[in-house]
Amino acid sequence: MVVMRGLSRRYGRKLAVDAVDLEIHQGEVFGLLGPNGSGKSTLIRMLTGLLVPSAGQIAIAGLDVLKEGPAARALMGYVPEDVMLYPAMRVHEFLRFMGSLRRLQGANLTRALERVRARLSLHEVWTTPMGRLSHGYRQRALIAQALLHEPALLILDEPTNGLDPQQIIDLRELIQSLVPTHTVLVTSHILSEIERVASRVGILLQGRLCSVLPLSRESRYRLRVLAMPDDGVEGLLALLPGILEVLILEKRIGDALEMEFVLAADASLDAVARALTEAKLPVVGLQAVTGGLESRFLALTSRIAQV
Amino acid sequence: MNGFRAMLGKEMQVLYTSPLAWAVIAIFLLLTGYTFSVWLIVGQNVSLVRVVHQSAVLLLLFMPVITMRAFAEERRHGTLALLLSTPVDEMALVLAKFLASLSLVCAMLIPTLLYPVLLAHFGHPDWGTVQAGYLGLLLHASALTALGLCLSALSTNQLVAAVMSLGLGMLLWVLDSLGRMLPEPFDVLVVNTSLIAHFTPLSVGVVYLSDVGYFLSLTALGLLGAVRALARP
Repeated sequence: MVVMRGLSRRYGRKLAVDAVDLEIHQGEVFGLLGPNGSGKSTLIRMLTGLLVPSAGQIAIAGLDVLKEGPAARALMGYVPEDVMLYPAMRVHEFLRFMGSLRRLQGANLTRALERVRARLSLHEVWTTPMGRLSHGYRQRALIAQALLHEPALLILDEPTNGLDPQQIIDLRELIQSLVPTHTVLVTSHILSEIERVASRVGILLQGRLCSVLPLSRESRYRLRVLAMPDDGVEGLLALLPGILEVLILEKRIGDALEMEFVLAADASLDAVARALTEAKLPVVGLQAVTGGLESRFLALTSRIAQV
Repeated sequence: MNGFRAMLGKEMQVLYTSPLAWAVIAIFLLLTGYTFSVWLIVGQNVSLVRVVHQSAVLLLLFMPVITMRAFAEERRHGTLALLLSTPVDEMALVLAKFLASLSLVCAMLIPTLLYPVLLAHFGHPDWGTVQAGYLGLLLHASALTALGLCLSALSTNQLVAAVMSLGLGMLLWVLDSLGRMLPEPFDVLVVNTSLIAHFTPLSVGVVYLSDVGYFLSLTALGLLGAVRALARP
């Protein structure tokens, strides 16, 4: 659905986004994580066509965001962060306006308005001026405008900011209800939220996409060995060529090592076990991992900081 | 086209629900009404030249106030990103805001049509001068609107946009007197970029195509500048 190739953006001397290659697949929820200043917003702005990349290309469903801007933008719904919507406009007026900008008219627009009103539970505030809405309802109206035209790609920039727990749960359910008919790209500082809704997550640090991790339970494993090969972790990794896709976390305790990894798409856990047995390594544990995005995020950020 | 119409409708709604627009209309009518009354009753002049000239100066002061929020506010509130993420192109956004602002100028000028009607009641005004005067005001307003929108698109702060717009308008207005102090051929060059040099003939009933072309060029320059300022950097 979304393909980024060598995407970079420079502000003067500062490289805000550095040669990002990323594919977001049709029908998945992709989470984009990164600390402040990591380049998340710049990446989103380039994806939405608000910013021209210094280098590289972005395509949405095969349409180049720069060369075929209007057509590419017609496929996306965008929920920006921290927007102060037109205070004098009523909710239905705002949605009608946004629907018209998104090329809806007549009966199609009316049907779309009814659909988002029901989906986002906006009945109560339908005729309320935007300036008098609570933060939660404002966020719902903002999401409603992005869903009016049933976009193939929905981009949510920090959508849980300022929402109360119930609203966060509602938003999570909404995102889950959108797949697989929509592709969702969501950014957030709240790792646990990303972990709950996303099927894959990309970690952006200092403008570089450091890691893309699947979040399904079966694909991540933890291995514990009591002793490493003579050439350390590198030697251990060399035992698993083509099996291990991403090394997420490594922790040494004396001669022992604990590591978390993601298997390559066509690799199996048996292959890992076989390779380790053949190398006669003292394996004490090899198990599937659930949760722990936070620890992996911290491990990655600390590794980058050390570099 | 659908997007342009929606944008125009929204701009009209935002503009006409703002107390600022009504305050500008009221003050404009009060001041021009006062000038018209004094000119007609005390001066015994059956002409609108004075009113047209004063209106041009008032537009110089009021247009920055009308256009300052157009893009600067959208940018500051984050709604510009929302608008630019839709399939509507920048030109449609700029033209919608331009026409909405110009409609306010029309709302200011339409009530003043009562003045020539009153003149006709008391005497025999020169209708050619009246028509040329209104044409001049519309052209003058459209140039100021376009320049104001361009400066608003360049700024995130509406006050900065207003001050820059006022400064540019004033500079273009007084360039005429500055230009006359320069040696040839610079004097002609500078005087010809002045607003007043091109407005004065229209205000007294003389329509030169060069003057019309000047205002239309300035309008096009402002609108293209606004589109360029919005274009994805």
